[in-house]
Order: sequence, then structure tokens, then C-alpha cells
Amino acid sequence: MLDWTFIPLTLNQIISPQTIAFALAALGLAVHFGYTGLLNFGQAGFMAVGAYFFAITATRFDWPLWASVLAALVGATAFAFLLGIPTLRLRADYLSIVTIAAAEIVRYTVQTPDFSSFTGGSDGINGSEKGFEALDPLPDSVYKVGLVPYTNDDIWVIVVGWALVAVAAVFVWQLMRSPWGRIVKGIREDEDAVRSLGKNVYAFKLQALIIGGILGSLGAIINVIPTSLQPNNYGTQTTFFLWTIMLLGGATTVLGPIIGSILFWVVLGLSDGVIAILATSHALPLSQVQQGPVRFIIVGVALMLLVIFRPQGIFGKKKEAYFSA
Amino acid sequence: MAVGAAAAVLGLALGLGVGAAPALAAAPAAAPASTPLDPASAQQSILVVARDNSAPPAKPLPGIPVEVKGGDYDVTVATGADGRVEVGVPAPGSYEVTLDTSKVPSGLALPSALAAARSIEVDAGNKQVLANYLFIAAGAAEHSAEPAPGATKTAGGADAGGPASASADFGRRIWPALATGLIYGLLLALASVGVSLIYGTTGLNNFAHGELVTFGGLMAYTFTSIAGLPGWLAIIVATVLGGAFGFVQDLGIWRPLRRKRVALIPLMIVSIGFSLAVRYLFQILYGPGTLLLPQDSAAAIAIGPIRLTSADAWAAGLAIVVLLGVAWLLTNTRIGKAARAVSDNRALAAASGIDVESVIRIVWVAAGALAGLGGALLAYYQTIQWDSGAQILLAIFAAVTLGGLGSAYGALAGSLVIGLFINVSAIWLPANLKLVAALVAMIVILLVRPQGILGRKDRIG
Repeated sequence: MLDWTFIPLTLNQIISPQTIAFALAALGLAVHFGYTGLLNFGQAGFMAVGAYFFAITATRFDWPLWASVLAALVGATAFAFLLGIPTLRLRADYLSIVTIAAAEIVRYTVQTPDFSSFTGGSDGINGSEKGFEALDPLPDSVYKVGLVPYTNDDIWVIVVGWALVAVAAVFVWQLMRSPWGRIVKGIREDEDAVRSLGKNVYAFKLQALIIGGILGSLGAIINVIPTSLQPNNYGTQTTFFLWTIMLLGGATTVLGPIIGSILFWVVLGLSDGVIAILATSHALPLSQVQQGPVRFIIVGVALMLLVIFRPQGIFGKKKEAYFSA
Repeated sequence: MAVGAAAAVLGLALGLGVGAAPALAAAPAAAPASTPLDPASAQQSILVVARDNSAPPAKPLPGIPVEVKGGDYDVTVATGADGRVEVGVPAPGSYEVTLDTSKVPSGLALPSALAAARSIEVDAGNKQVLANYLFIAAGAAEHSAEPAPGATKTAGGADAGGPASASADFGRRIWPALATGLIYGLLLALASVGVSLIYGTTGLNNFAHGELVTFGGLMAYTFTSIAGLPGWLAIIVATVLGGAFGFVQDLGIWRPLRRKRVALIPLMIVSIGFSLAVRYLFQILYGPGTLLLPQDSAAAIAIGPIRLTSADAWAAGLAIVVLLGVAWLLTNTRIGKAARAVSDNRALAAASGIDVESVIRIVWVAAGALAGLGGALLAYYQTIQWDSGAQILLAIFAAVTLGGLGSAYGALAGSLVIGLFINVSAIWLPANLKLVAALVAMIVILLVRPQGILGRKDRIG
């Protein structure tokens, strides 16, 4: 008996909080890499920092929602300073190694049992959504979208999340049309040329790192609210997923990361379903345990093919898909 | 009870303890306290091994009940036909593992250093933390005041629940930590030298180098545990196949991309994609669990407080010989000089008649073989699993960055420093912060001396 209900279920990925979170974080990554040319392989670290600042202040100190969100933004900013000061003067590949290392440092540190009274160890943190759900204006009820039932709180986070995506997209779009945006794009194309115009390249890079990191931390908050904070969701895989999403849509576009996130999660959902069906009908010699890794192989191969054959992604312009160095 | 009074609690944690594969969006469900968690899905697990070593080689002891208890989690399982059983545990922390020795055949006893009831520390994400019960003849157990062979093999430094508390007898812990650190650093160096050579000659930061290491380890596992070859032969085979893997990779991916004049940053992203794809292919082929190679842990060498199994000593010796050989090749042979010339200045090397492409090909083969050897030795030294290489990739990068990107000797020096740093810092730090210490050290070094220990300033641009 083949179960095809995964197809309508997968379509709900289009609006899911996970898609929103990855769209925001990938948009942040586009500010880093696509527009400014910074090789940030630690976007998962920015997400983790935001998520932990939000969840710890909300659950351990009972801060109100606005204060917790502010704490997440401050945390992401501090993380950007911490990463940027030692590495932004060095060549691009140093930043890549330091950012990936820093993200892993965050993940290991929060999982340390010694800090678990604070960080929840590897169990993560539950219950940071109270403040957010208290603001929910929707009546208590269950809403059905397609085949999937949503509580009013689920709908609330989805609505706020997409509103946030829209605001972030307009913000980045306007930012990149501004003189500031022209300078960071100039840094991407030729750092020395911009420096010779008397611009402080270092400061602009740091600002870009902060803006992209803040978008990542906002995404993490949307990810944490409907579920819980799980430290292992912020490993290197998450960063690589974000890179795939960004490159899929187009690194130098605003809509690219957002559409990329939708496509990415829908395709992964569909491929999971198709593989499960092929395996149960014995067309593929894979056991239940062996099906899980397939999606990662798909992502890996997709990442390679994208970079080689369509570096500008779906929406990008070939001219702008120029990777310096 | 066939066992005499137990003197010490002893456990050893195999594996780096740098965390299992992050499971995306997988929230661990709270399990009923009395049913064993499925070790395949649990974030942490304890591996209980019961063997009869009264007449080596050790034979498995099947059907021995073991109780694993911690917090409100309390399960009893029995060892399987291979004398092993893996128990998933719900959270990191300390677990009481008690082996029911009354079910062990009479005439067997645990050495006095091994207690039937012991506390095992499980760190976040640590799978298959080992609780090893090696039984010996009851008569011999009376005299065995010495710790059991392999007891100091802290493999990455996690001396789980050892008799010494972290603060006490520092002297007794520093020497084994230095020894394991040095060995670990040597094994790390086998991989790092390759990363550095590839970086030097092609400019590529190879994020898929960890998979070359894993490949070597998995080949060693395949040819010993599955095909039944002797260990030394399996290590040679793993090295040769590692070189072949490097060759095929260069031929199939990197050379065409160089021809296509793909820039370095896209190349780096390609290596990330390749790493993801290959790593999870390994998981499909070899499963998500830890693989143990057949080991002869009986033969031990003791120098003061340092105890090494013969496998450790062999691994260290072999690594030293090979690394010296590489250094000699780089300084004294035509091809070594050519490789260094290409590292220094590719255009100039090409202009002076060096066939850059063939140098790069040889570098890929050498890097693959070195990583394969490193992986095989690492598999012997610790354990191997599908993502072992990915777990040490950051340690490799830290070593290479520390030594100076592109400098092969720097990579060697950096690896030793990182190996020592990881193991010695574990004396004070919680086990899962070992790698963190090394990574923080790397970032600090970048702040004060960005070109690394032996790197040249003009490379950092």
C-alpha cells in the first residue's frame, strides 16, 4: 500500500516556520556572502546565539518578549564583533574557517553538562514561546490548511514570521539600493578599489556581518517559538543547508533566499516521500535507517552542481555571480 | 559473586566525544524509564562489552544481564551473542552500569581494577561510551592490582569516571595526557599535511578532507573485521586505496574544475557539497553506529605512568616514520622540490618547466594516501564511524591554520600542538569542550600571529 499523502503534507512546508527561519537566515547569509562577499560558514552559530539569548532570557529570567528579542539581536551583534574583529582584515578563507569554528564552539559550549542549568545542555530549552503566544489575538481554535491542522498559536507564528520575512526583504532590498549597499557590493567586487576611494572597508564588512547575523538570529527565534530550542539543530549541516538555499535562489538577490528556502524544504520533503515509497516497494534497496541520509546526499550533490553550473542561482544575474578571490 | 573486592571504578570513553551527527529538527522524545532507548535514535549511548580473556584472544560472554541506571532511567539488558550490547541513554550525565557477575561462568573474575558496578560519564552526543568488562581467570584476578591493559587509553582524553578526580594527582594525569596527545597529534598530522599540501599547490581549502580520513578508517575496518585480513595488511590496503581515492577525486572533480577555471571560493563550496554527499553515503553503507576493529589490547607497554597498547605504539611509530619520510621527500627529491615550488609560486614554477598539473595530481594521491593511513590508524587507535573524519576536520583546520596555511612542516607542528592541547586541556575542561579549547586557541593565534607558527606573512593577504 503506497502512501502518497506526503505530497499534500509537503506542500505545507511552503508556509512552515522552518521555511521562514531558513529564509530569514539565508537572507542574512546573502547580505554576508552575496552582497558583501564575506565567506560566513557560521550562520548556524548566529542562529544559535540568537536562539539561546532569546530562550534563556525568556525562560530563566522571565524577560518580556520585546526584551528577549532585543537580547537576541544584541547577542548576534556581539557575536559578529567577536568574529569580525580578528578575521575581517585577513583573507576570505580565514573568515570561513573561523566562522565555522566559532559556530561549533557555540554548539559544544551550550551542550556542556556543566552549564545545563543555564543552557539546558543537549536537551535544549522549552517554553520560550510564552511571551509570544500571550500576544496571540486569534481565538483558541484549530485551523486546517490543506490536510494539516494548526492551532491558533501555530497560525500566529506563521503570520508574524512571514510578516517579518516581508519586512526583512524590503529592508535588504532598500539597503542594497542605498549608497551603503553600493559600497558593500563594491567590496565584493574589488576591495582594494573601494579602499582607494577612502572608504573604511573593515567597518563596512563588520556592519554587513552584523546585519546578516541579526537576520539569522531573527530566523532562529521563529524556529524556536513553535518547537523548542535544540542545540543540534544548529550544527554545520544547518549552515550548509543555508548555503544551498542561498545559492539555489540566487545569492545576490532578495527574493532568491526566500523562494530558495521554500523550494529547498518542499523538494526535501518530496524526495523523502518518494524515497520512502521506492524503498517500501523494493525499487530501492534501502532500509528504514538508510533512508535518512539520502536527503543529505541530495543536498550535497545539489550544492556542487549549483556552484559549478549555475552559480547565480534561479533569480540571480550571471554578471553578479562573480566570486572574488 | 565470583568477583573479589573491587578497588577502582574504571571506564574508558572511546571516540573523540565531539558530538554525534546533528539530527535536524529531531526532538528526542521522553522515553518511559524502564524500556531501553533504541541506541540508533538516542543522542547518547553506552556500549557494554563483556569478554572472557582468561585465554587470549578474548571470547565474547553472551547473555550477561547489565543494569544501566541514571536519574529516573533504569533499564536492564543482556549482552548479545558477540558479548556486546548498546544501550541508548536519554541525556548526558553519569550512569551507574552494573554487570551481573553471577551469570558469568565460574572460574572467571574481573581484575581488581575493573569493578562490576561503575559509573560512566556520558557527554552530550557521545555514542557508544564504552563500559568494558574483560574477565580473566579467577586466580589471576587476585594478583592483578595493576590497572587492566588499555586503561590509560583515554583516546582523546575523556577518562570517564576514572579513579582520579580532576583536581587530584595532576602529575598522574598529565603524563598519559601528554602521551595520548602526542599520538593523537601525530595521527592528526597525517591528515593535516595533506590539507596543507593541497592548499599550497591548488589554493583549495578542502572541506572534504575529513572524508578521506573516514575512507581510510572504513577500509581498514572492511579489510580486517569483514574480510579478515591481518591488521598490518589492512593498513597498507587502506593507504593505497586512500591514494586511489585522492587520485580519482582529482581526476573526476578537481581537475575538470581547474580546467573550467572555477574560482577558489566556488571550489571550496564544491568540496563542502562533496563532503556532505560522501559522508552520508558512508552512513548508508556502514550504518550510523561506531565500528570497532579487532584489537589486541593485551600487549601493553608501560613507561612510568604511561601505558600504551602495542597498537598505540605501532600507530605512533608508523606515523613518525611516514611523516619523516614525507619531510625527506619534500626536501630531497625532484618531485618534492617541484611541489614546494608550485606552492611558492605556481606561475613561476610552470614557467621554469615544472608540469604543474602532474605535481597537483601527485599531491592529491599523496594527500589521499596520508589521510587514508591516518584514518586507518585512527580507527585502530580509537574507533571509526561514518563521520569520524568530519568530526576531526575542524581540528585539522585548526592545526593547519596554527602551523601556517600551505606549509607542510607547519601543519605537522600545528597538529602536535593541537593534539597536545586537546588532550591536556581535558584534564581541567569538561570532555566535550576539548575541541573548543583547540578552536579558541586557533582564533587567538589568528589574532596575534595570523600567518601561523611557520607560515609566511604574504600568504594572509
